[in-house]
Amino acid sequence: MADLTRRTFLKGAALAGGLVVRPPAVLGQAKPFAGVTIRGSSFQHVFHTYLKEYLPEFEAKTGMTVDFAPQAFPVYNQRADLELSTQGSAWDFLNITFIYSGRWIGAGWFAPLDELVNDRNQTPREWDAADFVSGAQSSLVDARGATYGFAWEAGAMLMGAGRADLIEKAGLKLPETFDQLLKVCEATNGKDGVAPFVADKLHHWNWIPYLMGYGGRVFKDPPGNLTPTLDTPEAARAAEYYANLLVTYGPSGLLSYTDDQAMRAQLSGRANMRTQALGWLSPLAKHEESKVKSTVRYALMPGGPAGQFPGSNSHGFGIPVGAKNKRAAWAFISWAMSKETLRRITIEKGYTTVCRRSIIDDPAYRKSMTFNGQDVAELYLKVLSLGGKSGYMKYRTVPVFPQVGDKINKAIERIATKQQGARDAMKQAQVEAIEDLKKAGVKLDA
Amino acid sequence: MNRRAWERRLLHAAVVGLVLVILAPFLWLLQMSLKTQADIFAFPPKLVFVPTLEHYRTIWDTAFRRSFTNSAIVAVLSTALAMLLGVPGAYALSRARFRAAGSLTLWILVSRMAPPIAFTIPYFLAYRHLGLLDTRTGLVIVYLTFNLSLVVWLMRSFFDAAPRSLEEAAWIDGASPGQGFVRIVLPLSGPGLAATAILCFLYAWNDFFFALILTRTEAMTAPVAVVNFMNYEGWEWGKIAAGGTLVMLPVLVFSFVVRKFLVRGLTAGALRG
Repeated sequence: MADLTRRTFLKGAALAGGLVVRPPAVLGQAKPFAGVTIRGSSFQHVFHTYLKEYLPEFEAKTGMTVDFAPQAFPVYNQRADLELSTQGSAWDFLNITFIYSGRWIGAGWFAPLDELVNDRNQTPREWDAADFVSGAQSSLVDARGATYGFAWEAGAMLMGAGRADLIEKAGLKLPETFDQLLKVCEATNGKDGVAPFVADKLHHWNWIPYLMGYGGRVFKDPPGNLTPTLDTPEAARAAEYYANLLVTYGPSGLLSYTDDQAMRAQLSGRANMRTQALGWLSPLAKHEESKVKSTVRYALMPGGPAGQFPGSNSHGFGIPVGAKNKRAAWAFISWAMSKETLRRITIEKGYTTVCRRSIIDDPAYRKSMTFNGQDVAELYLKVLSLGGKSGYMKYRTVPVFPQVGDKINKAIERIATKQQGARDAMKQAQVEAIEDLKKAGVKLDA
Repeated sequence: MNRRAWERRLLHAAVVGLVLVILAPFLWLLQMSLKTQADIFAFPPKLVFVPTLEHYRTIWDTAFRRSFTNSAIVAVLSTALAMLLGVPGAYALSRARFRAAGSLTLWILVSRMAPPIAFTIPYFLAYRHLGLLDTRTGLVIVYLTFNLSLVVWLMRSFFDAAPRSLEEAAWIDGASPGQGFVRIVLPLSGPGLAATAILCFLYAWNDFFFALILTRTEAMTAPVAVVNFMNYEGWEWGKIAAGGTLVMLPVLVFSFVVRKFLVRGLTAGALRG
């Protein structure tokens, strides 16, 4: 203690004080955003309902008011697209919807967040941007690696079987390949009045993993080369397989099912297997109206000769370039996407499709995601990692995908209703897609 | 029973059948709004069930109530303003004796000559600069713009059909042109006024597109609010049905009340000349 002079004591105290205050400099100040109001929007989602319950704590801590008004999915996307395309300043933070991410980020309508993330006055080191699963972040990062958003939700396609007991009774297990899927459908068809397979009419989401499993693609090499490749033998084979699955093993009226109707068919035990994002499948184990809680089992999306390509997507918060209060918006996003907030939302509220690895690995989360003794979180993480590694989901983030997706929907419907054979239907889809892309000014291969 | 009576009965049965076919979508919506969530998804569908007002109660406790009020205010105000400005304008054009009267009437239709989407971006940008986005005033102005031409065109034909000799008689008796218009011409055009007002009201009440683009939360109208029950994780069918029924209800009641005027007003043009 002989070396401890008054000067060194004061220096040490100042340093210690600085360390306490410094990391979250913005939040360390008393009400750093007092009087500031930020406005934000997204599409309605249970995540936001949960987040809003914690919002008063954030507002009390920072002094800012957050006017967060989620809207219906189509309404939000329409309004956000118009607002962003005119570089307006009405919103300080917005959701970056997966299917629009290529267009919104590519056009420069969102501000890069790296500077704010790396600024220790704005973001403490422990916030840890690298903790977000790469697969969930891939659509929120541009080709140069700049980050424009952080994912609050990820869709990971799995197989969910509400009546796995019927499969076990038939002496089989949940299918891992397309061939096995057909065998399971055949063996359980009509048992207990249950249709073996169900899907909604969004074939441009549901069918693509089958297309890729057979070695096909939607575009030649997205996002660089957007020449459609729908008229290949692989595409015809995958379309024939999938249409047969729907018509032969689906409940009546299946071709007009919305995603909600397909989920209801599973919840009520009228249909067994579905390949869809976890958000649509986890209600089988958790929803109060589910009649299949005790019999539901999950598996990875079955694979084809070319491998497994489960669909994945993600939605994240970002800051529009025209936003007036970027620092305040980032304070909100970094709070909403912090480990602590996300942990509370997952553990206290039971939110499932979180994108931070540290939370997915958390024993409490694992426990909440264990259904009938099965660790579904592990399956979820596997799918997100797959999508991030090979980038096979890039096709979905290109701005012209909705037009091509529409042609895919119609082609599958034509095949399923026997209006056309698979080869002819996919050839027609190819011709129509090329016409649309040319009209949109996309450069295609000769 | 003679042949004529049989024919009449057959005709009545055909009318009832036709009405049922026409009303089927509405009746389906109505019964869905009165079912529990479980009954809505029951398979096979339940035709006999215990009705509940739960969906109506739920949506009335949400922002839907404000949207419903917005719809009512905007539709009534824009209709009233369009009638207030358009009816005298139509009368003036009907009685005008100048060369450009014909082309002027045609120019009034300009706002109806392009699909609404053509006006969206200009409106959106102008409103942003004027601070009219997400305001009832903004919506009233848009609907007024589009309804004004409708009022002028419809009412002009009614005024053309009204005999001028009656006005002239009133003038001889000392009435001013304004008094002639208010006391003689307007009462004669009652059915036309009712039909035109209903069409204006329906346009504003049912509009989805402009309300979608030009509002956010404060001035959101009922048709957009109904779509807000279509969530990412599932559609709330009971609420959608209850919201849809509530949106239809005022129009049905209003049309029922003024149905005689409406029929006379809509067929008046057919008898002209």
